[in-house]
Amino acid sequence: MSDRNEEAYVELKEINKHFGNFHASKDVNIAIPKGKLVALLGPSGSGKTTILRMIAGLEQPDSGDIIIAGNRVNNIPGSERGIGFVFQSYALFRYMTVYDNIAFGLRVKKVPEKEIRERVSELLKLISCEGLEKRFPSQLSGGQRQRVAFARALAPNPQILLLDEPFAAIDAKVRLELRTWLKEMITKLQITSIFVTHDQDEAIEVADEIIVTNQGKVEQCGTPQELYSSPASSFVAKFIGNSTVIKNFNRFKYFEKAEEAEEAILRPEFVAVFKKGESVQYTSSAEKAVVEDIIFRGSNLEVRVKLYDNLISSLRSINEPMVEIGETVDVFIYRMFLLNKDRICLVHNQSLKQESVVI
Amino acid sequence: MEIRKNNGPLKWILIVISFLFLTIFLLLPLIYILSTAFRQGIGAYLVSVSDEYTIKAAILTIKATLWAVAVNTILGISAAWCLTKFAFRGKKILSTFIDLPVTVSPIIAGLIYVLTFGRQSDLYPILDDMGIQIIFAVPGIVLATIFVTFPFISRELIPVLTAQGTDEEEAAALMGAGTFTIFRKVTFPHIKWALLYGIVLCTARAMGEFGAVSVLSGHLRGKTNTLPLYIELLYQGYDFTGAFAASSILVLMAIIILILRLVLEKKGKKELDIKK
Amino acid sequence: MKRKSIIPGFGISFGLTITILSLVVLIPLCSLVVYAAKLSPSEFLYTVTRPRVLSGYYVSISTAFVASIVNAVMGLILAWVLVRYEFPGKRFLDGIIELPFALPTAVAGISLTHMTTTNGWIGKIFYDAFGIRIAYTRLGITIALIFIGIPFVVRSVQPVLEKIDIQCEEAAFMLGADRKTCFRKVIFPEILPALISGFTLAFARCIGEYGSVVFIAGNTPYETEIAPLLIMAQLQEFDYSAATSIALVMLLIAFVILSINALLQSSVAKRVNGKS
Repeated sequence: MSDRNEEAYVELKEINKHFGNFHASKDVNIAIPKGKLVALLGPSGSGKTTILRMIAGLEQPDSGDIIIAGNRVNNIPGSERGIGFVFQSYALFRYMTVYDNIAFGLRVKKVPEKEIRERVSELLKLISCEGLEKRFPSQLSGGQRQRVAFARALAPNPQILLLDEPFAAIDAKVRLELRTWLKEMITKLQITSIFVTHDQDEAIEVADEIIVTNQGKVEQCGTPQELYSSPASSFVAKFIGNSTVIKNFNRFKYFEKAEEAEEAILRPEFVAVFKKGESVQYTSSAEKAVVEDIIFRGSNLEVRVKLYDNLISSLRSINEPMVEIGETVDVFIYRMFLLNKDRICLVHNQSLKQESVVI
Repeated sequence: MEIRKNNGPLKWILIVISFLFLTIFLLLPLIYILSTAFRQGIGAYLVSVSDEYTIKAAILTIKATLWAVAVNTILGISAAWCLTKFAFRGKKILSTFIDLPVTVSPIIAGLIYVLTFGRQSDLYPILDDMGIQIIFAVPGIVLATIFVTFPFISRELIPVLTAQGTDEEEAAALMGAGTFTIFRKVTFPHIKWALLYGIVLCTARAMGEFGAVSVLSGHLRGKTNTLPLYIELLYQGYDFTGAFAASSILVLMAIIILILRLVLEKKGKKELDIKK
Repeated sequence: MKRKSIIPGFGISFGLTITILSLVVLIPLCSLVVYAAKLSPSEFLYTVTRPRVLSGYYVSISTAFVASIVNAVMGLILAWVLVRYEFPGKRFLDGIIELPFALPTAVAGISLTHMTTTNGWIGKIFYDAFGIRIAYTRLGITIALIFIGIPFVVRSVQPVLEKIDIQCEEAAFMLGADRKTCFRKVIFPEILPALISGFTLAFARCIGEYGSVVFIAGNTPYETEIAPLLIMAQLQEFDYSAATSIALVMLLIAFVILSINALLQSSVAKRVNGKS
């Protein structure tokens, strides 16, 4: 769990930004502690990239303060803020070799050539691309390009690393490897890092903390667990996890009637599906439902059942007995989120208390 | 976007340089033609423009231009179609030969026709027996005009057809459509604006061709003089008002062509944007 | 290489293309080759090494080179201004760049000449103020060639400049590069191939240019006599073998220039697309 009292290293205060009539950032307040790996997560157009670019100095906010290490940096050019930036499409210089790409930032700063050579070979070793220094970007694989872009950003020894959709341009298999690699690298280097992503799995897996943005506003900041277990807004509750919105939740058995709530949210992990007679524990409190669809997810099965006109998803292990489409099954709902305007509460199935089951 | 947002004196210095350069090199000659043409009043201008030989030269120019546009349109469409829709041996050589004529000096273009159809050629006696005269006559002028504008239309069509790929034509062919149906219904809508654009470029160049036509023309007033050649004749005869008056017709055409170009380019771009 | 396509129409489009290509380009070109093969080597060498001919080549190449250098610099500025800046009159500027393609060369030629004689609008100013003559000198030829070559560099650099990924410039900026370094190290290498390509096309075109130059050149032997004019002069004397000899050397020069460019472009493409 994050320590809320930790001193912020990168801080955005009351930031507003417009592009013409489009309000890209609305009263954004963010505090990021030193050494943390933070994800800016949100759907496209939610203003996450704008936040990143304002920190980098690639955009100027209309109002508000950007503070790095206690200093207001609004009027300091991005190149002097001690920031390394990894671009979405890497933006490697096509006409320079890998070596020249990584050395670029050092050459601009007039670092002696000998030191440059040492630093570049050190970085090449770090990204395990030794021997590729004479190659041109076009002769590298997608993963190698990403790592060279990473090394280039790190070369001038920045205090902060910003990454814009770092995995978007890579195919699925390499992406998973790179995620792990990047997390290891950043943890090893102890560099404060912020990355933008629209992929919640990526954010949850890689980040220490996640900042969820929507329509230019920051919806919630917190660790992945916090976002999961106590979403601060209905947007976060719906956006995180594979959520299904239910309107007629009052028909569900063993839940307290909540008249003021508008809708409920169910996630697959809130629901269990049993074959008839498979579970003795919940037989009395389970609902009857019919299997509508079964989707093979590789390591498990997503079973979709029709319950009071809602299509509800649940996960079943492939080691459990198979269910079939059209089969009538027992559905047990452990808990759900109830949404009332923007208030959220988690309600549990009351039969759990009565039967005192162990999950 | 902020880093491209400029700023500063450099922007305005460069803009001023650009305007000055284009004004001096492009606009001034244009204005000069018009002002010289009208120097002796609108009356003298009208007399020069409606001169019998000027009109005859203009008609010949239009004739050669129409021929060039017609032949090069047929060539452009068939070459673009076979170069972009099929894979075959020698494709690269074919496209090199189609592009070749524009890299050849117009004088040399004229020369090769003289060598082919002139008195010293083996073809000359045959053609002479049939009563066909090519060089120093209208057919030579037409041929030279076709030659110098040869790839103008195919060059506009090929990039568009390459970008479009062959999927749509393959789909149409699978449904049993014939060559002309596929072309009319599937391909043509894609290349419509590029084709028009190519025709405009071809027209511009065909009307203005001087060197190649000069070699092949017999310089016979009213018979084998195109408008540019007639302008040369007037200019060398120190009839400057006449020369510039005749030039003003071509200037007017050039301006129309530039405007057409802008319109067509915009339409073509719009079409591409819609597709995206 | 050969791939069966289900799209119909290969036969007709290929046939039409080959037929037109043969009639207009291939057969005349063959006659040039046949005729050239009949030339005796000694006669050929004698013709093309005559001092007057050598000076013609020199005048053509040197003025074309200077004009193309001017156009490379101005073309780069114009392309930059048109792509990167917003200002009133931008559309107009963009539109008139194509004027040299649309305006007949002879018309441009007489206008530039008349303007730059010692009595003309511009010529008078330069002659009175600096004692510089423009028309009937190599300076005049260079100016006419600048006019002809303007669109080449602009139109080849402009699209490349438009396509440069802004992220590359941002990356350079984040790494601490100022505008100058960013231009030199990041933008310039991107546009250099297009710049060279535009330069070569303009250069090749200018060496062969006739219509716009012939009036302003004055055609003094050894001074302002260009190579295409020499061919023309031989043709008018019906000395076809001399004309062909001079033309062959010009074709060779154009071929060399264009081949160097093609080699350069393909080696750049290899590096950027990673196929080496």
